[in-house]
Order: sequence, then structure tokens, then C-alpha cells
Amino acid sequence: MRVQIIGFGVIGQGLAEVLLRKQVELKQRYSLEVKVVSITDISGTAYAEEGLDLEKALSVARQTRAIVNYPGAKEMSGIEAIEEIDADLVVEATPSNIKTGEPGLSHMLAGFKAGKHVVTSNKGPLALKYRELVTEAARNNVEFRFEASVGGAMPVINLARETLSGDKITAIEGILNGTTNYILSRMTREGLSFEQVLKEAQELGYAETDPTYDIEGIDTASKLVILANAIMGIDATFGDVKTRGITRITPEAIRLAKERGYVIKLIGEVRNNHLEVSPRLIPETHPLNVDGALNVAMLHCDVAGEITVVGKGAGAIETQSAILSDIIAIWKKRGAVQ
Amino acid sequence: MRVSVDLELKDTPGQLLLALEPISKYGGNVISIIHMREEEKLRAGRVPVHFTIDVPDEASLERIINELEEQGVRVTKLGEATKKERITLLMIGHVVDTDLRDTIDRINELEGVMVSDLSLAMPHPDKESSAIVDIEVSAQVDKRKVMERIYSIAKEKNLEIVRSLEV
Repeated sequence: MRVQIIGFGVIGQGLAEVLLRKQVELKQRYSLEVKVVSITDISGTAYAEEGLDLEKALSVARQTRAIVNYPGAKEMSGIEAIEEIDADLVVEATPSNIKTGEPGLSHMLAGFKAGKHVVTSNKGPLALKYRELVTEAARNNVEFRFEASVGGAMPVINLARETLSGDKITAIEGILNGTTNYILSRMTREGLSFEQVLKEAQELGYAETDPTYDIEGIDTASKLVILANAIMGIDATFGDVKTRGITRITPEAIRLAKERGYVIKLIGEVRNNHLEVSPRLIPETHPLNVDGALNVAMLHCDVAGEITVVGKGAGAIETQSAILSDIIAIWKKRGAVQ
Repeated sequence: MRVSVDLELKDTPGQLLLALEPISKYGGNVISIIHMREEEKLRAGRVPVHFTIDVPDEASLERIINELEEQGVRVTKLGEATKKERITLLMIGHVVDTDLRDTIDRINELEGVMVSDLSLAMPHPDKESSAIVDIEVSAQVDKRKVMERIYSIAKEKNLEIVRSLEV
């Protein structure tokens, strides 16, 4: 299978690393040989008909932070690479943008148009233009999968759509952002203020320098939109979510809740066509009460009852579990594009 | 006729006896009593107790329930029907300075709705305080309507509301 990687940051590099590690296993278990024919970052595109040397690509990217320094690489954009290079599948792994969805949105659409399957971890385009993307993929008769866009390694989209395909999912609740879960968990355990814990999280690299996306609930809202569309068939976009973050949560509020057997968690909820992100009181004994930076999702199913999944919501390597499972699923279904 | 009744009792001596009295007075016979202690914390220190009783007829059942409620025992469920539900929520902000009395009164104004418990934490007079509030809601009242009222008060008084998951 000929694969293009667009975006060579944490996720793109993680994929290269895991592909190196799993080369033999993928061939043995699935007769799948993944050949990465091109890698694009903001500097340009490295390209090799017979497949790139991933070890070399990783060392070039890590040392120079620009893939254009790979031998023979060109100053070629992602769109050009998708249009001009022969491949079966595009992995879109550029940074997420919730305002415009770009550049991921254009990459995905270009991929469909070029008759290529697309696998992505990029939630921005999905949260803004889910319908358009899915329709375009279908129109071009290609596969489009995005398990990694929600909950990192935590399998939820494919779980609901494939394993639970006999069930109707009537509601979803979950903790879909590891940073806010880390902050609230620390506040609960240590009795510290929001500001103190945020600072600590930034120092440890758990929170971004600009933490707005996480703490205002924007990241959770984007993921919630994807779940509502992909699992429940609700035609919602980012603007439909009623969103509140965790900035006003105080140690005293957490203590009062704790005395009554509750914890406070930032919860994304889809129910009765209503999408909401807000801090909520969760009974200590409830399955959604998971600590640290973990993610969790509870699916309310009409046959199975409640199903809860817990997993790492981020991580360069962990997220590859989702990306790989999407690549393998496409390989099983379609093989290489003819 | 056999019915199941869920009550909430204060966790102090004599409370169970208080609940049993009306039952025997009107000819009821207790079949089983189960204390659901694991839920005590979530119910503001009251212990939910599940009764199964045999009563002579509807009329005596009604008398039993009325007398229990008069004595301040909370009847939360009768047979299959839920009688009362609860909304638990946190208010964060200048809870006291924005006239807590008025906040409670305006919630209580709604029919079948009553603030039944409230604990307050005030770290410092200048800082924002927090309150955890229990609101009893009759089963026939739409909880979303109650929340709408609360959110509109909260918006006016710049309070942050954290409600429990099931609401």
C-alpha cells in the first residue's frame, strides 16, 4: 500500500516510528506492506517511488525540523504532493484548526478528488465540515476514516460503528480532553487552585502555552461534534455545541462536591440532538470518574445498555493505534486502489 | 396488595421506627427493609431505604404515605412510579452577595420544586464562594424547565452552575 504522510510533527513522526517497528508484523498478520512514498511538512516534500527511508526521514526531521533537507526533497506543497504523487492513501496529520479547518480540509478534499483513501487525526475539518467530507469521500468512492481524531488511542468511533453495529447509540457522554482531566484531578487531590495547576501542567508539557482550546472546552466540543455525526448520525457542526470550560472551578467547589460523593469533570454530552460541553458533578462510583490525563466515553446503546471505554487520549505513539487500525481496516476492505 | 416504597431517612436513632409507625397503624405488614447505605453520601447524609409492604387497600396506602410525609420522611418512590427526583448542583460565584435568599425563593416559586439542602463554602469575603444545593422536584415537573430557571438566575447573578450528570 502506497501511503503519503501530510504533516510531519508529533503525529506524523509517531506514525513513521510505529511503521518501522511494525513492518514485519503487518506483513505477517495482514500481508500489508506499507510503503511511505512521500512525507510533507511546511518546508516541502520528500519523495521516493520505491518508498522513503523512514529512519532517515525521522532523523532529518528531528535534526533540522524541515523535511526538505531529505536527499532529493523538493519545495512541494501538500496539495501538490497529493495531486502529483501516485499513492493509495493519504494520512492527514497537520495541526488542527477549529476556525477554518485548514490546511487539513483542503488536503482531505484533494485526497478524495485524487481517488485516494484518507486517514486522519485532524479534528478541525471534521468538526466544521463533517457532511461535506463524508459526501465527497463517498462520491469519489474512497474510504475516509478518522478514529484518531477523538480520544487518541481510546477506540470509540470504530467501536460504535463496527463492533456495536447492531445497536443504536442513543446518547454519549465522556471526558474527551486529557489536559482538563489532568487539571481537575490534580485540583481534587491536592486542593490547589485552577491557576496553580494550569501553570504546573504547562511546565510539565501537559498543557499548551495557549491553553484556551483545552480549558474553554473547545477541543472537547470539536470531538463531540465528530462523535455526534459519526456515531449518532446527527448533522451538527462546531457552532451547535453549547460550550463552557473549567476556568471558574474553585478548590472550595471541588471540596463541597467531594463531601457529597461527587467529583467535577469536564463532560461532553450528546443526547436528544443536544450537544453540550460543561463541567458536571459525577458520582465518585460512576464509570466516568477516571483520573489523570485519561479519556473516557460512555455509549448508551439500545441493546447492549451502557458501554464504557477508557484510554490514553493523546500521545505520539499511542495515537498510532487508532491510525494503524484505520489503515488496516481500509487495506482489508479495499486492498490497494486499482 | 403488595407495594414497594422508597424512603429517605435521616441517619439518626429512631428514624426507622418513625417510618414504621404509620405503616402498622393503618394495617400494613412489612415484608422487607433494605438500607441502601452506599448512596448515603449522594443524598446529603440521608439513607435511602427500600420497603416492601403489604397493605389492605389503596386508601390505607394513601394514609400511610400522607402521614409519613407529614412527619418529614421523604417518599421518593412508590411502586413503579417515582414520586420525587433530585437535582444536585454547585453554584460558584458571589453566591451570598447576590442575595442567596432571593435565589432560593425564586427556585421555590416553581410548583413542585423545593430547595431541600444547601452547604456553603466561603474562602474569603472578597473571593467567590460556592454552594452545593439539593433541589427536590416532583416527578411530574420537567427538570429541564427547572434548570432553565436556574440558568437564567445564574446568568443574571454571574454564577457558574455545575449540575449533576443525570440532569
